[in-house]
Amino acid sequence: MSERGLHVRLSQAAPVPLDVELSCAPGEVLGIFGPSGSGKTTILRAIAGLHTPEAGRVTVGGEVWLDTAAGRVVPVHERAIGFVFQEYALFPHLTALGNVLVALGHRPREARRRRAGELLDLVRLADVRHRRPEALSGGERQRVALARALARDPAVLLLDEPFAAMDRAVRRRLQDEVDVLRRMLDIPLVIVTHDFDDIVRLATHLLVLRAGRTVAAGPLQDVTSRPDVGWLGETVGAGVVIDAVVARTHDARGLAELTFDGGTLVAPDQALAAGAQVRVRVPAREVILAASPPERVSLHNVLEGVVAAVAPDARGTVAVVQVAVGPTRILAEVTRDAVERLGIAEGCIVYALVKSVSLEVLASGAG
Amino acid sequence: MDWQAFGVSLALGLGTLVVLLPFALWAGHRLAARSFRGKHAVEAVIAVPLVLPPTVLGFYLLTAFSVRSPLGAAFETLAGNALAFSFPGLLLASAVANVPFAVQPIQRSFEAVPVHVREAAACCGLTPWRRFLRIELPLAWPGVLTAAILTFAHTLGEFGVVLMVGGNIPGETRTLSIAIYDRMQAFDDRSAGLMAATLLVLAIGALATTTMLARRAGPVRE
Amino acid sequence: MALTRPGSAEPPRRAEAAQRPTLVAAASDLSFALTEIADRFHTTGAGRVSIVFGSSGTLTRQIRNGAPFDLLLSADEAFVDDLHMRGLTRDRGALYAIGRIVVFAPGGSPLVPDGELAGVTRLLDARRLTRFAIANPEHAPYGRAAEEALRARGLWDRIAPHLVLGDNVSQAAQFATTGNAAGGILAYSLALAPPLQDRGTYALIPEADHRPLRHRMVLTRRAGPAAERFYRYLQGPDARTVLQRFGFGPPQAE
Repeated sequence: MSERGLHVRLSQAAPVPLDVELSCAPGEVLGIFGPSGSGKTTILRAIAGLHTPEAGRVTVGGEVWLDTAAGRVVPVHERAIGFVFQEYALFPHLTALGNVLVALGHRPREARRRRAGELLDLVRLADVRHRRPEALSGGERQRVALARALARDPAVLLLDEPFAAMDRAVRRRLQDEVDVLRRMLDIPLVIVTHDFDDIVRLATHLLVLRAGRTVAAGPLQDVTSRPDVGWLGETVGAGVVIDAVVARTHDARGLAELTFDGGTLVAPDQALAAGAQVRVRVPAREVILAASPPERVSLHNVLEGVVAAVAPDARGTVAVVQVAVGPTRILAEVTRDAVERLGIAEGCIVYALVKSVSLEVLASGAG
Repeated sequence: MDWQAFGVSLALGLGTLVVLLPFALWAGHRLAARSFRGKHAVEAVIAVPLVLPPTVLGFYLLTAFSVRSPLGAAFETLAGNALAFSFPGLLLASAVANVPFAVQPIQRSFEAVPVHVREAAACCGLTPWRRFLRIELPLAWPGVLTAAILTFAHTLGEFGVVLMVGGNIPGETRTLSIAIYDRMQAFDDRSAGLMAATLLVLAIGALATTTMLARRAGPVRE
Repeated sequence: MALTRPGSAEPPRRAEAAQRPTLVAAASDLSFALTEIADRFHTTGAGRVSIVFGSSGTLTRQIRNGAPFDLLLSADEAFVDDLHMRGLTRDRGALYAIGRIVVFAPGGSPLVPDGELAGVTRLLDARRLTRFAIANPEHAPYGRAAEEALRARGLWDRIAPHLVLGDNVSQAAQFATTGNAAGGILAYSLALAPPLQDRGTYALIPEADHRPLRHRMVLTRRAGPAAERFYRYLQGPDARTVLQRFGFGPPQAE
């Protein structure tokens, strides 16, 4: 376990029942996903010190911030945290610059203004630095909140549903910015959200929470490739999220080749550059299984793999099949009837067919 | 126009402010900050002078100030005078009677500071004292000003408590409101009318100012 | 070190007492008479005097609770005796005047004042008496005297529901001169005062109808030389003249 990382263990019965244990190493992004009321914000607040659980232990970089057994509770203002609230929580009577300056008290007086300027440049708000929050747009306010959180030189960055109040376009841009920032920093980042899109874009690790308990936890690809998908509910469909690299683009044909660990995927070219890192989500519903490779079809993606697991759902009409394509696992959602007809079982060789247009490709880095 | 009484009234108003505001800032802030067991009881006790007849307050204060009580005896030893019928005694009585006028507006304005803003301030590394000075107080100042104006205006208008605890000692406890009463009993309606009009104008001015402030403060926008 | 008796205050510093103006507590019936006497006293250059008027009973209670008066002019010697018994006074004080009461009717009232209170009786019989103002008998000597006079004529029980009580005799005078009261029983000294002269008519009530209003004054323990000077002035010829003009009888020998 990395010394500089975040380690949390919490349990309580009230006001929100919780019983979790999690870790996040520097440079990792832990997404905590779950429905409202599942306790995810409580976890974040406990890490920050805004809430003290009945029993728990929180250490960051070797420092113990909370240890109920030993009776040690470090107050909020003594923890080096960067907290971005859902409602931004900016100080209304201060300008953007003023807001950031508040968090720079730990730095020598002469260096504060300069550092505040740097941070505002980082989030591209230099020209509005003298505006008050009421004169800023939602996206700008959140960026001020980010700059202010970073100003603290935090040991851990905590984001509480940071994009919840925004429309899609603004959210996309901010997600990219957060992604850029986290690559620059070398601290654990924990983001709490009920929007899976945030997870797909930003998280390296995923913890799924329901009713205060961990349903699944681990690296993003591993968790999303698990066949027991009941935890996702109706809001998110099953589908593995994998990291890939753009190998080549065929501009004339409007296609891009994405290489992942175990194979290649072809997706429509969306102004991707060769060598760019991307995330690809393969919706399980869009994956067709074939016992033999088809001929003369429109599909670009035909992946050969071995069936690793078959998991029927509760009613038994639909099954999720986990297919191992090299070391990467892909999920396919098909009917039980199809499973029986094709005789799909563990160890069989199958072909996973995915329409290129069904792939969700997310480019990281500023757009 | 009894200028001496006017001076006593002003001194009483300002003195009450000086004594009461620090306490009200502390109490209003604490009551706004958190819920604790017995909070409602505390709020009720603070509000008591609002509903109590001045005679009840006067009665208990006189008992507390009498030379037979520890407080009265101590003052007597230190100052050589009785606590009742003296300006310090009146100041103390006025402070007690004005507690709700000072505490309640301040408590409301601290409550209006969004909880997330306070938490964000803590997350920025501000100690509770610095949070109070740099974030909460600047956001709550209209309520503090309202409390100050209301307390001052209410003190100017006090009668029952002043009469019972202060008597009518010229230059010491004869406030403007008492002077009006005094002049009426001497059939000097002209004087009484002039002083009454003065107090009326001051009261209207104070209320107009607080209304304007309340509108200006409004909900805290982010 | 003297034993502290209940209610007694420590003797104040004499030097301090010399600096501040003399504070006098005076019964309300002296409202006009004493103000004039004090003005004359000021012209002699012997010092300044501040007067607080009220009912004798209320002022006595305030002194018992430590109110910083140097001199009390009571309308009833019983209050002075009370203070003396509690050790709050220098001595038994001095008798300075005898008070009289009058029945008073404001202009426009159906009441015709007469010393035997026949006018009051008439109004009561005709059920035309609205309100009748007296000072509070509980703590105002003039209220006590008014009650005695009404009882002497057998009117007390009948008039009791019509009474409006003033906190002191000045307030009773206020009530009596407003349009809502048919009249009242007030101090003679107030009826003689300029503000009331124009507002109504009055008739003296015989002294035999009530216990005498023996006005006694006394210096408190905190009184200094300035208060003593005023105390002596009040017993001098100039003060006597003013008191006589306001209807006060001379103090009889003790």
